[in-house]
Amino acid sequence: MATARERLAKARRFYQIIWALCLIGMFIPLVYPLGLPVKVSEPVKDYYEAIANLPEGSVIAVSFGASAALLDEQEAQFLATWKTIFQYGHKVIFYCSTQDAPIIIQNELAEVNPEKYGYVYGEDYVILPYSPLGEAGQAAFAKSIRSIYSADIEGTPLDNIPLMKDIDSYKGIDLLIYEYTSCTDVEWVIRQWVVPYKTKVLIMTLGCCGPMAAPYYPTQIQGFLSGSGAGTELEVVSGNPGPGAAMSDAKNLGMLPFFIAIIWTNIKPFLGRED
Amino acid sequence: MSAIRREIPSAILSLIGIALLLAFFTTLGFFQELHGILTSWVPIISGCSVGLGFLYMTYAQWMNYQRNKNLNNLIYLIVPLVFFAIFFGTALFSPGNTNSEAYQWLYYHIYKNVGGTVYAVMFFTLASSAIRTMRLFTRDPTGGFRFRLEAAALMFGGLIYTMRQIPLFQVYIPGIVELGEWIMLVPNVGGGRAAVIAAALGAITVGIRTLWGKERATAEVE
Amino acid sequence: MAADLIGGFIGTLFVISVMSMLWRDNLFFRFGQAAIMGATIAHYIFMNFQSVYKNGIIPLMAGNVMFVIPILLGLLMYTRLSKDIAWLAKYPTSVLVGVGTGVMITGTLRGQIIDQVKQTVLDAFTGINGIIILVGVVTALSFFLFTKEHTGALGTCVKIGRVFLMISLGANFSGELIWYLTQMIGRLMYILNEFVWPLLGA
Repeated sequence: MATARERLAKARRFYQIIWALCLIGMFIPLVYPLGLPVKVSEPVKDYYEAIANLPEGSVIAVSFGASAALLDEQEAQFLATWKTIFQYGHKVIFYCSTQDAPIIIQNELAEVNPEKYGYVYGEDYVILPYSPLGEAGQAAFAKSIRSIYSADIEGTPLDNIPLMKDIDSYKGIDLLIYEYTSCTDVEWVIRQWVVPYKTKVLIMTLGCCGPMAAPYYPTQIQGFLSGSGAGTELEVVSGNPGPGAAMSDAKNLGMLPFFIAIIWTNIKPFLGRED
Repeated sequence: MSAIRREIPSAILSLIGIALLLAFFTTLGFFQELHGILTSWVPIISGCSVGLGFLYMTYAQWMNYQRNKNLNNLIYLIVPLVFFAIFFGTALFSPGNTNSEAYQWLYYHIYKNVGGTVYAVMFFTLASSAIRTMRLFTRDPTGGFRFRLEAAALMFGGLIYTMRQIPLFQVYIPGIVELGEWIMLVPNVGGGRAAVIAAALGAITVGIRTLWGKERATAEVE
Repeated sequence: MAADLIGGFIGTLFVISVMSMLWRDNLFFRFGQAAIMGATIAHYIFMNFQSVYKNGIIPLMAGNVMFVIPILLGLLMYTRLSKDIAWLAKYPTSVLVGVGTGVMITGTLRGQIIDQVKQTVLDAFTGINGIIILVGVVTALSFFLFTKEHTGALGTCVKIGRVFLMISLGANFSGELIWYLTQMIGRLMYILNEFVWPLLGA
């Protein structure tokens, strides 16, 4: 009979083997892509249609709450979203709600290049700087943008920006796209945008937060993207390729050892193997 | 003297909370204005006070080191300060601040990279704990097998929804996408909505107790 | 070019330092962990102070004197560091908690209770899925009744509710696992694109 210490060491070795196999499985498609197709889900289709069905020239506010450490999970989502918005000619007010958001948005927008879509900064889109909004800040922003921001990210006063001349609250916003990384933040947008002003809202969040946003769909939020997989699906449905495809490919073999380990640990007792 | 330390802050808390409730339930201009002003102050107050975290962390690491002068604690004391100085100094003194080439280099290769790796490592620990948790059968003392309903539910929700997100399974297991979506939009909503309602009831209770002054923990500073 | 390769090399070292935790706890891992602590705090403090400067001090200097109050309240938070005047920090805390509580209660009642209950009832008339949702909500809610013993009919209700809650938990767990997997893939892509391929001249 093995001692507890020996069993613990054996279990640890088993997990380390699984980890190594998962790592190898993730690595192979990065060098030899598999190119498997991706199927699109209903929340993503509704997300896309909510943007596509807006009249041209509608104003979309994007509450950008990205995090640098979580960029791998979020990048596909917001790049596909921005490209879709620009594709349909909507006006955009980006406002940054996390410390990492200003750097990310400036770097990533430079890659997307709104000018390629005929966009002019200040007339068609504007970036507002970082403010630690929280729930109270979202409430203040919805009521009066100028109570939080007096200037854009470059320091230009809002009154000097053509897009912001007649917009100071939820009244000038046709759709809010709320991007967040902390699972309970969805409650903020429900409480401060949907309940008081019945604003149409789309959600962009991490994979683990999607199931927590599902109870609000489709009545309180009109669509949501949950994880990089949803970002890949949006790339497919909107026809805008991006970083999601390579990510999706690498997931294929990375998860296989995990599934095999689960099947093995469940049939092991029936084979009379020590638990 | 005790009033200025306890009762007055408590009264301010309650008055502000009630004013915001009145702003929502009435159309009185005064309360609407107050709502706008108070909510716009919160980002500034929070922004100003963020330095406290750094001071507390440094103090805690210093005390740790004083209690136990080993290499581990020395690393936790010195290294954060060094990297704090590098990042803060570069952001402050580079032309363009955080948009400067130097800061962008640090940001991309260290800040973003290491932050991402901390989460990446959690894949392995989470996968291990999932393998341990997702066991449908355990042995009972008589040597037979006992079926674990809750583990089965966890496995059903977890594995199917995982497979739904992997293109390999989407292609080779017909119906997995539809089943995964059904799990997300039906049983998950059933359980999730109950959690939302229960948490909301709890939050309102705590909120009312806070405005009433019964939740001492929210305003106590030792 | 050389700076990029050096950056890739340093970044790869940091990735390996944090991942070495999987082998066992070691000084290399602690170094990486401590480095990110310092870097994160520096970035957060700089961005927040910059935000206060842009959104508070500049408008104040432009004549909007109201901004003196939140800036002063924010600075009062630092009185926590001294035992003698720590009580002054209760004032900004009271404002923060009062505002947070006030904005939370108003939206919670409507958005998270009334609308959710209404939608659950309406869903029940849409078909079998709606009935499953209704059963799920009612039974899972019974799980949160901690003032009554979970026996008899309530006990059965709670057992069913736990199944729904575990399915929810499973979906959350699955999302988390895929998220971390994506992060790991991102790190592998970084090592390949920023270090390995440039080193091999690809």
